[in-house]
Amino acid sequence: MIEFQHVYKTYETHSDENVALQDISLKINEGEFVFVRGHSGAGKSTFLKLMLMEERPDKGRGKIFLNGQDLTKLRRRKIPYMRRKLGVVFQDFRLIPTMTVYENVAFAMRVTNISNKVIRNRVPYVLSLVGLEDKMDRLPDELSGGEQQRVAVARALAHGPKVIIADEPTGNIDPELSMDIMQLFEAINKVHITVVVVTHEHELVNSLAARYGNRVITLAHGRIAADTADPEVARRYLANGGQPVPELSYSV
Amino acid sequence: MRFSSFIYLFGQGLHNMRANRMMTFASMGVLTVCMLLIGTAFLLGVNIDYMVDYLGDQNFVVAYLDEGVTEEDRAAVEAQIGAMPGVAGITYNSPEAVLQEYSGMLGQYTNLQEVFANDNPFRANYQVTLTDVSQMEAVVARLEGLGHIYRVNAPLAVQQLFLSLQKVITYGSYGLVAVLGLVSIVVINNTIRITVFARRREIGIMKLVGATNGFIRFPFFVEGTASGLLSAVIASGIVCGGYYYLAQWYAAHPTNLTQLFGGELVPLEQVWYLVVAAFVAFGFILCGIGTATSIRKHLNV
Ligand SMILES: Nc1ncnc2c1ncn2[C@@H]1O[C@H](COP(=O)(O)OP(=O)(O)OP(=O)(O)O)[C@@H](O)[C@H]1O
Ligand SMILES: [Mg+2]
Repeated sequence: MIEFQHVYKTYETHSDENVALQDISLKINEGEFVFVRGHSGAGKSTFLKLMLMEERPDKGRGKIFLNGQDLTKLRRRKIPYMRRKLGVVFQDFRLIPTMTVYENVAFAMRVTNISNKVIRNRVPYVLSLVGLEDKMDRLPDELSGGEQQRVAVARALAHGPKVIIADEPTGNIDPELSMDIMQLFEAINKVHITVVVVTHEHELVNSLAARYGNRVITLAHGRIAADTADPEVARRYLANGGQPVPELSYSV
Repeated sequence: MRFSSFIYLFGQGLHNMRANRMMTFASMGVLTVCMLLIGTAFLLGVNIDYMVDYLGDQNFVVAYLDEGVTEEDRAAVEAQIGAMPGVAGITYNSPEAVLQEYSGMLGQYTNLQEVFANDNPFRANYQVTLTDVSQMEAVVARLEGLGHIYRVNAPLAVQQLFLSLQKVITYGSYGLVAVLGLVSIVVINNTIRITVFARRREIGIMKLVGATNGFIRFPFFVEGTASGLLSAVIASGIVCGGYYYLAQWYAAHPTNLTQLFGGELVPLEQVWYLVVAAFVAFGFILCGIGTATSIRKHLNV
């Protein structure tokens, strides 16, 4: 479903070059639930942005496949159609400030050419999943950070994507609600939707991964430091002089 | 695209127009002024054409004969004039006929026929009708080259003034349309560029959730063309209304000069649809171009 082959990503800034990801190779199968964790600046968001084609890998260094399609060769005009297969929760929410909560969610569906009738039924439903059905007519600025984040979650689910990609979807939400949101993702995963969740919250990851048997990938300094689906990865990483990752002590 | 999407995007465009009403207002102002100038130039051109045509209908010159020309010489001259290229016809006015005409005009004051009974001061003349006005100069030269011709009267100066005025105004209005068209494109382009820039984050988000360029561009297109069409409506109203009253005033205040050119302007009924059609096309096409050229950059997400 999703495959990275030796992908490198370097950001060019006005002063220097910033290597965000190096030699990333992995495969995520359809229907998998994957946690991606790592220290701040490890490259987690960059990893997700590459899948969405918000960023592109360094020229000639690596390939990314989605459903067998090479994204590095995808024509510009085709990108929107590829994106519609994904549901993305952005780390900074990316809600449209001039649209109400309802419109923000509805917009992602309109873009996908879903009929008005379906939109009218579905938007309140997905908003109720994240507990916001009574705030549909507010603007994003009139919501708390956690509420905005939940709108972002609802928008990612609304158009029924095959893959959900969430960048710190619970970063602004209290632990109890965080658990609810994660459970929501687990439930979605049950109907064979691939879920990739980036998170800082080790305890949450540990308890959920233990309970549901989710795969956990750990990034460190732009490299994959560990992958519960492939214990070899961690050994190779350390053998190549990688820094040990302190919180690797979860059990599967 | 679904019809409901079409309706939605159309509504978004109108909504954005209202949301950016200051910008909309400013760009519509500039557009309207451009159209007013173009419309004025056009109507001026139309009326100059009309006057030149009117003068063209008066396309004859008068050739006066020397005194004491014999009947044979006169017949020869008449044959020569009749054979000239550019001459459509000739009418002979004998001194007696001229005297009669003038005395008819002054009939109630004095009897010219009696006053000048033995000493007619008028000269025999030919009224020479031309095939078309542009021949006037050549025909006058040929007539002056003939023998027994005392003088040739032709409204040459006025004729030439108007012909060159017509040319200047025609080229001037082409130039004006080109310049103002460019100005309008730049203004629309800039307006949309500013609103696009203000909303670039929003556009980026739309693209990331899978919107195509067309889906994003459409509301801007609606916004641009709607301001273009609205400007066209406003400009049409002002130009046609203004022209209507001007034409009325012009006809109601005749002077010697205006009488010379027919005493009235081209009636509004003959030009209003041209003005409106030109404005609508102008607004629609230029705004379309202005929109298409301004969004592209921010769509590359
Ligand atoms: N647009 C950018 N321009 C330049 N450098 C960038 C850019 N985005 C990210 N980086 C750099 O790339 C590296 C990886 O960033 P990334 O956002 O992927 O980290 P992250 O793991 O998501 O961190 P966090 O947990 O804090 O969100 C960091 O060193 C960061 O400074
Ligand atoms: Mg991040």
